[in-house]
Amino acid sequence: MWKYILKRLLLLIFTLFLVVTATFFLMQIMPGTPFTNPKLTPEAIAQLKSTYGLDLPLWQQYLNYLIGAAHGDFGISFQYQNQPVSMLIGQRLPISAQLGAQALVVGVIAGLFMGAASARNKNNKIDGTLGIISTLGISIPSFILGIILVYLFGFKWPLFPVSGWGDSFSQTILPTLALAMSPAAITTRFVRSEMIESLSSDYVQLAKAKGLSAKEVVNQHAYRNSMIPVLTLIGPMAAGLLTGSTLIEQIFSIPGIGQQFVLSIPSKDFPVIMGTTIVYSAMLMVMILITDILTAIIDPRVRLQ
Amino acid sequence: MSNPILKVENLHVNFNTYAGTVQAIRDVSFDLNQGETLAIVGESGSGKSVTTKTLMGLNAKNALIPDNSRLMFKDRNLLDLTEEEWQSVRGNEIAMIFQDPMTSLDPTMRIGMQIAEPLMKHRKMKKEAALARALELMKGVGIPNAEEHINDYPHQWSGGMRQRAVIAIALAVDPEILIADEPTTALDVTIQAQILNLMKELQKDTGSSIIFITHDLGVVAGMANRVAVMYAGKIVEYGTVDEIFFNPQHPYTWGLLNSMPTTDTKVGSLVAIPGTPPDLLDPPTGDAFASRNEYALAIDLKEEPPFFRVSDTHYAATWLLDERAPKVTPPVQIQKRWTRWLEIQGQGAQS
Repeated sequence: MWKYILKRLLLLIFTLFLVVTATFFLMQIMPGTPFTNPKLTPEAIAQLKSTYGLDLPLWQQYLNYLIGAAHGDFGISFQYQNQPVSMLIGQRLPISAQLGAQALVVGVIAGLFMGAASARNKNNKIDGTLGIISTLGISIPSFILGIILVYLFGFKWPLFPVSGWGDSFSQTILPTLALAMSPAAITTRFVRSEMIESLSSDYVQLAKAKGLSAKEVVNQHAYRNSMIPVLTLIGPMAAGLLTGSTLIEQIFSIPGIGQQFVLSIPSKDFPVIMGTTIVYSAMLMVMILITDILTAIIDPRVRLQ
Repeated sequence: MSNPILKVENLHVNFNTYAGTVQAIRDVSFDLNQGETLAIVGESGSGKSVTTKTLMGLNAKNALIPDNSRLMFKDRNLLDLTEEEWQSVRGNEIAMIFQDPMTSLDPTMRIGMQIAEPLMKHRKMKKEAALARALELMKGVGIPNAEEHINDYPHQWSGGMRQRAVIAIALAVDPEILIADEPTTALDVTIQAQILNLMKELQKDTGSSIIFITHDLGVVAGMANRVAVMYAGKIVEYGTVDEIFFNPQHPYTWGLLNSMPTTDTKVGSLVAIPGTPPDLLDPPTGDAFASRNEYALAIDLKEEPPFFRVSDTHYAATWLLDERAPKVTPPVQIQKRWTRWLEIQGQGAQS
């Protein structure tokens, strides 16, 4: 098990190296320059290029970037002067990650309950209602729900603050709900179909034949078995949520990383784009690794080697 | 000797579907005596599985059972039980062995725990005590080095071993009735005999009654005391195992016996019953088997045959047994069986 995890971590580092390389050269292909201010004289631009090391030959730039990235140094932002990218990410990522984690927990737990309730009441009113809710949850974009939540609970019945971050926990509630809806809906649908399959399986028939109640059958047999495929869904979902949501952060004025990432693209802030991309990839890979480990813990047929 | 532990009376089971009402079980009655093995034989779709599911109270929600159907077990009609009452019967008084051991164990639960589960449920045993008993049960069903394997997961075991575990689960709480739904169909032929022997031995020890569901008459011969042959949701013939094998009366039973390959069967000459079973959405009038029956009489198409008595233990629902029916000559193989029957009878009379 530990050997497997070590192997996966080494593989992860290698993959990250590929991501760094690919991102670096894609940045080079990207047309345009960060220094677009018309007031800049050619001398000033040359000065800037020299400051950021952009006048060096490409291989030298690449090597410098690689060495820096290996030390956790992703360079200095073009946009926010003198701000190291690692510091920008370090300040903003935890905010996005906390919001994402809250949304993930709320969404997945809601999805597990609703999916199981739906499957156990297959084709009756409860299933139908939950089906409508989950379809809406998937089709309504989170920012629309965000705006609706702001209107309802910030304006109509002002229960929660509608913007800001870090002053109180109540500030996190509305963005968490807005962000949790889509994972809740996706998990509901997935759990429902997995649970229905599990409930019609032979081992559930046998469990019923043992005299277990419907609740015992679900809790002791059906849940664990339907969780195995659900886990593979939650891994990438977690990576997506933890790395921030631009629109939700914008609506609720949350200084997260999502907003910054998007802003860095039109301003050609290469170091920020690259740094964020690398952090995103790393998180996705770590989440998938965690998912694989959890799957192996739940499913005895999976052996990690 | 007749001491029925279970009496099935006028059982009808219908299923409401979009296409209409499927009459899966059409008036089935039989008794199960204490300590005996009753085999229910029939091809796919004859209603065997619905019969077992009904006996376990595990029918799908769209099953409809009319009020005059009765399943009498220990002075109560099982069909009147609530779901809670059923839970105290299932796995406790009536247990079941499933067909496919590759899929009937929970892949994510340790086998010892799966055997312990019914003990914890019905005997209110603590986990440790139940696992200790599970270990004994594993030894009882012939699992070698059971101590080392109690914490195994199903995927670590072969099919034969898993079926032993399924049997251990069924026997955990000493059920009075054991329903075995084609317990050897999914197993290798070499393993089949082992599992059948195991079941016979365990029955000797526990004295439980077995309902043995199968489509394989070859398996029946060594297992059952009595046989009921089912066709299109009805029992068409029942009798002791010798009566069914050597003195069969219903043309469907003839067909089943003839389609059993023996060592005499010539290469390339497997016999099949022509046609397919009738559509139970709209069962035919008269004898359901008539359209596939080369011995069918005119009346078979109009009126359903009642049970005709062959002996006190042997009945068959075919108009051929009516005294007005013409004498027919059954297939050669069946004539041989009848000859053998007379020999058996003769020996019985002498001794």
